[in-house]
Amino acid sequence: MKFDLVLKGIFSAMFLASIMRISTPLILPALGGLITELAGAINIALEGIMLTSAFTGVVVSAFTQNIWLGVLAGIAAGVLFSAILAYFHLYLETDIILAGIALNIMATGGTIFLLYILTGDKGNSSTLASGMVPVVEIPFIKDIPFFGTILSGHNIFVYAAIVLTFLTYIMLYNTKFGIHLRAVGENPTAATSLGIPVRSIKFTSILISGFLASLGGLNLSMAYLSLFQREMTAGRGFIALAAVYLGGRRPWGTFLAAILFGAADALSNQFGTLDIPSQWVQMIPYVITILALVIYALRRKAQITEQTKRFQERELAKVNNNNNA
Amino acid sequence: MRKFFSNPAVREGLRVLIAVSSALLLGFIVTLFVSEDPLGAYKAFLLGPVSKFNRFGDWIEESITLIFVGLSVAIAFKANLFSMGTEGQLLLGALVSGSIALFVPLPAILRIPLAIIAAMVAGFIWGWIPGYLKAYLDANEIVSTLMLNAIALKLYDYFLIFHIKPPDAGYNSSDFFPKEGTLMSFIPNLPFLKGVYTLFSDKTNITIMLYILIIAVIAAYYLIYRTPFGYKLRMIGANIKFARYGGINTKRTIILVFAISGIFGGLAGAHLTMGIHTKLIANISVGMGFEGIVVSILARNNPLLIPFTGLAYGYLRAGANVMERASDMSREMVFVIQALIILFVTAERFLPTIQKRIEMRKENNTHMEKLAPSDGGSHEV
Repeated sequence: MKFDLVLKGIFSAMFLASIMRISTPLILPALGGLITELAGAINIALEGIMLTSAFTGVVVSAFTQNIWLGVLAGIAAGVLFSAILAYFHLYLETDIILAGIALNIMATGGTIFLLYILTGDKGNSSTLASGMVPVVEIPFIKDIPFFGTILSGHNIFVYAAIVLTFLTYIMLYNTKFGIHLRAVGENPTAATSLGIPVRSIKFTSILISGFLASLGGLNLSMAYLSLFQREMTAGRGFIALAAVYLGGRRPWGTFLAAILFGAADALSNQFGTLDIPSQWVQMIPYVITILALVIYALRRKAQITEQTKRFQERELAKVNNNNNA
Repeated sequence: MRKFFSNPAVREGLRVLIAVSSALLLGFIVTLFVSEDPLGAYKAFLLGPVSKFNRFGDWIEESITLIFVGLSVAIAFKANLFSMGTEGQLLLGALVSGSIALFVPLPAILRIPLAIIAAMVAGFIWGWIPGYLKAYLDANEIVSTLMLNAIALKLYDYFLIFHIKPPDAGYNSSDFFPKEGTLMSFIPNLPFLKGVYTLFSDKTNITIMLYILIIAVIAAYYLIYRTPFGYKLRMIGANIKFARYGGINTKRTIILVFAISGIFGGLAGAHLTMGIHTKLIANISVGMGFEGIVVSILARNNPLLIPFTGLAYGYLRAGANVMERASDMSREMVFVIQALIILFVTAERFLPTIQKRIEMRKENNTHMEKLAPSDGGSHEV
């Protein structure tokens, strides 16, 4: 009986819509992580960037009473924060992982510190009257039964995540910048020898990832919730990195992987009503990611052996041809 | 004087000193703006840990954890393997040792060693997994260890909430460990040490883990610098292709590096449960694994330096707690100072002018020395 209800809950349009909402703060930073990953600069600081933006957005929107100023300020703060990472990594030659860890510590501490100064509370910003971004109904689509509920009536970040995944795909595979970026990540020395400005491309990629992560952060504090909570990112920056790998380092793959993580989160809430411990359900995406790493590695191994085999056969054929001639 | 400054160790020390003091200075400037009693707040922060005996204890206890996790990270990083897995190893070490301390009906003399060894084994196994994935499948160790941390956290929560905590308790923590499952004070309870013993055991939780820690530091140093395994580890860290070419079984070594690094993570977990908290609690480690990375990196991954960076880092954290209690400043300000220290110390080109000038001077000197004998030689001919 109970199980029936849960099943019904899972296959309802409302539930699928909620997966979209839960996944969005993963999709956006994951796209950022993908871009830096492909540029060969692993961005551990996604978590910190998200926190900074989430905080700035709430504070600025509360003090100006203008949502869009809050969003803009949040984006600016996130991009600036990622610029610190880029500067330390590319100009002061700090290890990017350590710089990322340092910035995460700084964001965690800094946001709580400032929150305490502004509100006198270390937990959340409920005393600040901050804004929420509007929810948008898409005309026509919202009237389609079932799909209308899934696709329409979300906050703007949900739509932004879909559009930005598409744009990221275009940028990475159909623009000169994207091709250069992937070349830099693949082999920086070769890229340098071709005259590609490695450092400035890496710098730009980190800034773009900062932009995307900041949208993810703003999504948390100005749409998902309407306030800032300490440590409200709760590891999403790291899950986003995992989504990059689970998605095979491709934009739509990353998008789907992030949705899988979101779905597991949503499912574990549903299972809470049954007697299945939520921990087991929440564990699934992490286990899947490790399995995906394994499968990815095995596939690459197989590809390499295949390529070597083909190469050997080709060379052998050449030698034979020469001998015959 | 010139010679003194051209010594790389002195130069490095100077660099760290400048980095730390500029971060502290920035923190002070912030305090000036925010606090109503900036001097008092900063005094509490800088002198807090040594102002009272129990605070001194807090500092040392915190540092013991930090040094253990630092050692764990150092072993992996020395081999250029960016393992982030210490957090998960710590959690499972805590879970296993805590369960034994609670439930295994043995006398203390057997129960405590069993719990500690079990924590080490748990860490070893949890480290073995990413090691295997890295060695045989070349799976990115950053991602695999982060995932394993998340899994370990879920396992920890699951067992704590569903099996360990008292069923009718409204909070997520276990009962306090019985006396047989708690680590004893590091001062033996002997008649002639009575006064010192009561002082330390009443005011602090410094336990026999301190001795295990000292052994661990020496063991880690020996392992890395004085054994064939350590040589292989460092070779892999320097150049893995060259190591493989030189006939080192890199796969086996990589797995062992991860697994041994896990032993120290497990020990940190045992210290947290059986030494400090004496029960299993939710959120027992919030980012301790990452703090270990910082401690290790500041010590340049050298096990003999890790106690110093661990103590320094622990001092900052303990000082932050004192400051929060004694003034209107929140302890999170110190996080920002910590982050600045990490950024400044690890920036290879931080203070490049000082370094460059010294290097140039040094180069000139050696150049002159090189020239001198060769000139003399040409005269003889």
